[in-house]
Amino acid sequence: MKLDLDYAVFAGTDPIYEIADEVFTAMIDGEQGLLSLWEGEVPPFARQMHAWVDVHGAISGRVLLSTEQATAEHLTRALLGMTPDEPVADGDIVDALGEVANVVGGNVKALVPDPGALSLPQVTHERPPTDPESLLYELALCWRGQLLVITLWSLA
Amino acid sequence: MTLAPDTFAYVADLVRRRSALNLQSGKEYLVESRLLPLARAEGRDVDAYVRALRAAPHPTTLETVVEALTTNETSWFRDSQPFKALVDHVVPAVTSASAHLPLAARPPLRIWSAACSSGQEPYSIAMALADAVPLTQLRIIATDLSQRMVERGRAGRYSQLEVNRGLPAPMLVKHFSRAGAEWEVAAGLRNAVRFERHNLLDAPPVGGPFDVVFMRNVLIYFDLAAKREALARVRRVLKPGGYLLLGAAETTIGVDEAWDRVPVGGGSIYRLTPGRAA
Amino acid sequence: MRALVIDDSRTMRRIIAGVLRPLGFETVEAGDGREALDLLEAGADVDLACIDWNMPVMNGLEFVSAVRDNRDWRDVTLMMVTTESEHSQIVRALAAGAHEYVIKPFTADAIRDKLQLLGLVPFEESV
Repeated sequence: MKLDLDYAVFAGTDPIYEIADEVFTAMIDGEQGLLSLWEGEVPPFARQMHAWVDVHGAISGRVLLSTEQATAEHLTRALLGMTPDEPVADGDIVDALGEVANVVGGNVKALVPDPGALSLPQVTHERPPTDPESLLYELALCWRGQLLVITLWSLA
Repeated sequence: MTLAPDTFAYVADLVRRRSALNLQSGKEYLVESRLLPLARAEGRDVDAYVRALRAAPHPTTLETVVEALTTNETSWFRDSQPFKALVDHVVPAVTSASAHLPLAARPPLRIWSAACSSGQEPYSIAMALADAVPLTQLRIIATDLSQRMVERGRAGRYSQLEVNRGLPAPMLVKHFSRAGAEWEVAAGLRNAVRFERHNLLDAPPVGGPFDVVFMRNVLIYFDLAAKREALARVRRVLKPGGYLLLGAAETTIGVDEAWDRVPVGGGSIYRLTPGRAA
Repeated sequence: MRALVIDDSRTMRRIIAGVLRPLGFETVEAGDGREALDLLEAGADVDLACIDWNMPVMNGLEFVSAVRDNRDWRDVTLMMVTTESEHSQIVRALAAGAHEYVIKPFTADAIRDKLQLLGLVPFEESV
């Protein structure tokens, strides 16, 4: 199944990268330039964390954000403007990663014609079951040297 | 990295004098993040970069620093008051002579948005006037020194972050539609604005003589002689009794005697004194 | 000035409260529209509500409608802060009575700009 986006409108840019870039620039880093495309092999995650939102409507899909636990903690600290010595609780990390998935997912939803409803975010340490046939799109990102992967899946 | 107090004090003072932007304590992170790319380009940290600048304050570098702190101030309806003044005071004043004529017989309203950057100002002018003046009666010329900015303006496409800046939500839904991850200005509004590349110290742009000129937050980067030159050129393309709108902290007073200052809504607008055109 | 920050994400509530406090607001928080209405019904006196759209129990649109239906709360300024960014969604929110709309992701400047437009924060030449 193809993701039915009007690519002509994007004029050669990657709208999902643009969305990620805006999220990181506006809310996580406060400036552009700390997010880029991951270069080379995408290594497996050692201690994973996954956050996703589902879109239900004319097109149903899942926007999944996957990263290292340690990266999720760094994201949380950046998002909340915490100092390195401030303790961050697991609950904070779960909530923060879920919210990043929510913001990315909500903006991806708006790319699709006749968009549907956005589910509340879910966050786990195990990858949610996915069918390789349902993969629509994959984006490997490098944030301050750390790996973050955004994948889009169709939910038939 | 924490900024040295005198680094922040120096930069805040420089920026306040050059741009009227007031960096209060608590904004050290902003100075740091905006100057870090400039400092890194020289292999320095921000404190070292500013120390070097203070030791050898080259005008171009000073300007670069000010610009680094004041860019991203391109918001829609910047400062709000000038756009209110435009609708409530300026347009009624300049159209009063022809108000009695049938629409088809009235001359179009000609407005010049000088140093328009990526186009938020000229499109804000068009949106502010869209209810008061038929779009067919509006001729807005928007100019900028940068070809890239001119092209951005012509495209009329803005990111989500850009449309979040000072654009009332009712205006967003009325005048924009989504285009992918971005928002695009409606065709009717785009057709009311013509973008051209132009240098303020050159011969004036096409499209005049103008009823109103917006020249906001650009004269602050000019020395006194260049300010006078730019204002003299504006005079030559402004209709008698035409208006000039400057940035919130700018004035013609002490620079050019040909203008009457008109206090409006907590700010000032400037009217060309009759007989002082060229 | 007092602001009610309504979002099911604790992270987002902290971020928004962090933006509002330097602008002169005391903040109270709620995790969904129902909790927020309970606070208002209990007599919380707020000038501004920043409202997420997608929340459990009662969503932001339902909260906006409920507030606008109640004369006692007619002076509360309602600003959506949400990822819902389709043109039709913004129209729906404004039609339901929201005064302003901020799309996530947002910067502190964006929120300040909107509050200036709403007259809740003064215009001044300062960052």
